[in-house]
Amino acid sequence: MAQYREKTLYESFPALRYVLYAITALLLSVMHVVFVRLISVQGIAPDLLLVLTAWIALAEGQFIALYAGFICGLLFDVVSADVLGTNALAKTMAGFTAGFFFRHVEIPKSLGGMRLLLAVGVSSFIHNLAYFFFYVRPTEMSFTGFFLQYGIATTLYTVVAALFPMLIYRSTRLVR
Amino acid sequence: MYRLIELVVRFKEIVSLCALIVICFSLMSWTHTGQLGGFRAVIVGGIGWMQSAFAWIPNPVSMKSENAALRELNLQLSEERASIRQALIENATLRKMLEFKKQSPYQVISADIVGKTTTEVRNFVTINKGEADSIKEGMPVITDAGLIGTIIGTSSGFSIAQLLINRDSRIAAKILRSRIDGIVTWEGEQDLVMKNIPKSYDVKVGDEVVTSEYSNRYPNNIRIGWVSKTIDEPTSLFRRILVKPSANFSTLEQVYVAKVIPNPERLNLEREIEARLRERRRIR
Repeated sequence: MAQYREKTLYESFPALRYVLYAITALLLSVMHVVFVRLISVQGIAPDLLLVLTAWIALAEGQFIALYAGFICGLLFDVVSADVLGTNALAKTMAGFTAGFFFRHVEIPKSLGGMRLLLAVGVSSFIHNLAYFFFYVRPTEMSFTGFFLQYGIATTLYTVVAALFPMLIYRSTRLVR
Repeated sequence: MYRLIELVVRFKEIVSLCALIVICFSLMSWTHTGQLGGFRAVIVGGIGWMQSAFAWIPNPVSMKSENAALRELNLQLSEERASIRQALIENATLRKMLEFKKQSPYQVISADIVGKTTTEVRNFVTINKGEADSIKEGMPVITDAGLIGTIIGTSSGFSIAQLLINRDSRIAAKILRSRIDGIVTWEGEQDLVMKNIPKSYDVKVGDEVVTSEYSNRYPNNIRIGWVSKTIDEPTSLFRRILVKPSANFSTLEQVYVAKVIPNPERLNLEREIEARLRERRRIR
């Protein structure tokens, strides 16, 4: 009985979770376009949709994360006026990578702990590798230079941004 | 068949990953930034509307650099003011002498920047004028300082301009003093780059770089920037020329869109010749 009471509406209906993920993705992509300039440092900004992809990977598993990454990437391509498919590919790969950190029996622990940061860090690294590879491919720019200049910094900033959902989740779990 | 389905289900992650990668590659080859038609116009309009609604929020991080740039500009302007006064008097006299008619080589549309994406490598600005103000894709965007970029997307009330500091920037340019032609590109640094200029050519630091008459996208003689450094490439006959953009992209607020669109006949002819040459090379 006690176990039944602990289940929230959110936990009982997976479909509701997916609707929430979709709304969050939409809000984050709008936030990215409108507000991310306010928190960008030297042209480097955190990738909020990637944090969401990693979150979904740890909460739902690799299979769902793949599609979440693809949809988030496509959304990002559309709102950021980028070449359609570039971010979708990078975020699909990021979702796949983050999926390796999924532990079915430790979901709350993963989302409220270091595993989320690790998943965001590793998947962001893979994401930026893929993204910048395709970004510099049609030009004569140096991939290494570009990746070191923007890729690493973006990865670190994205990990810092992931701290906030992790701490919020951890505090709400402790309150319960 | 059953085994195949079982195999797909068993490795559904890998199969999905492969399928999604194929879809992504298809999307990349199917389209580029300018090929989304009406859908893109809706997105541009939506984003423009949202950015203009929140444009009043100041950016605390860029305030510092903006202030520094404005102080520098203020100093420059006060120095220039004195010389302009003198020049105005001279100008009035000379105009009378030459019966100079003030003529703008092209019409311009003034616009305010309502959104800026200068994060990482996506360098775009959203302006509050669009198709309703006769802005079209391909029109150059300028300020009093010089060339800023090109319009790459429009809706009825907003347009998105791609800045010069973008991987797709390739501008036919020339050194104004010595008339040396080259292509200016951006390679991820603060400065633009003019490459494949022979070492024997006369290029000096401080030379002004402007758009060339060979450009099929921009009117000629629009300032791009100044030569900030020349680097002799070892084991090569050429040198790299770094060009500091004349416009400060972090402090842009107002821009002008020049009502100039590439000549379609010229573009078609150039594309046709390029395709023929490519075909010849393929046959060889």
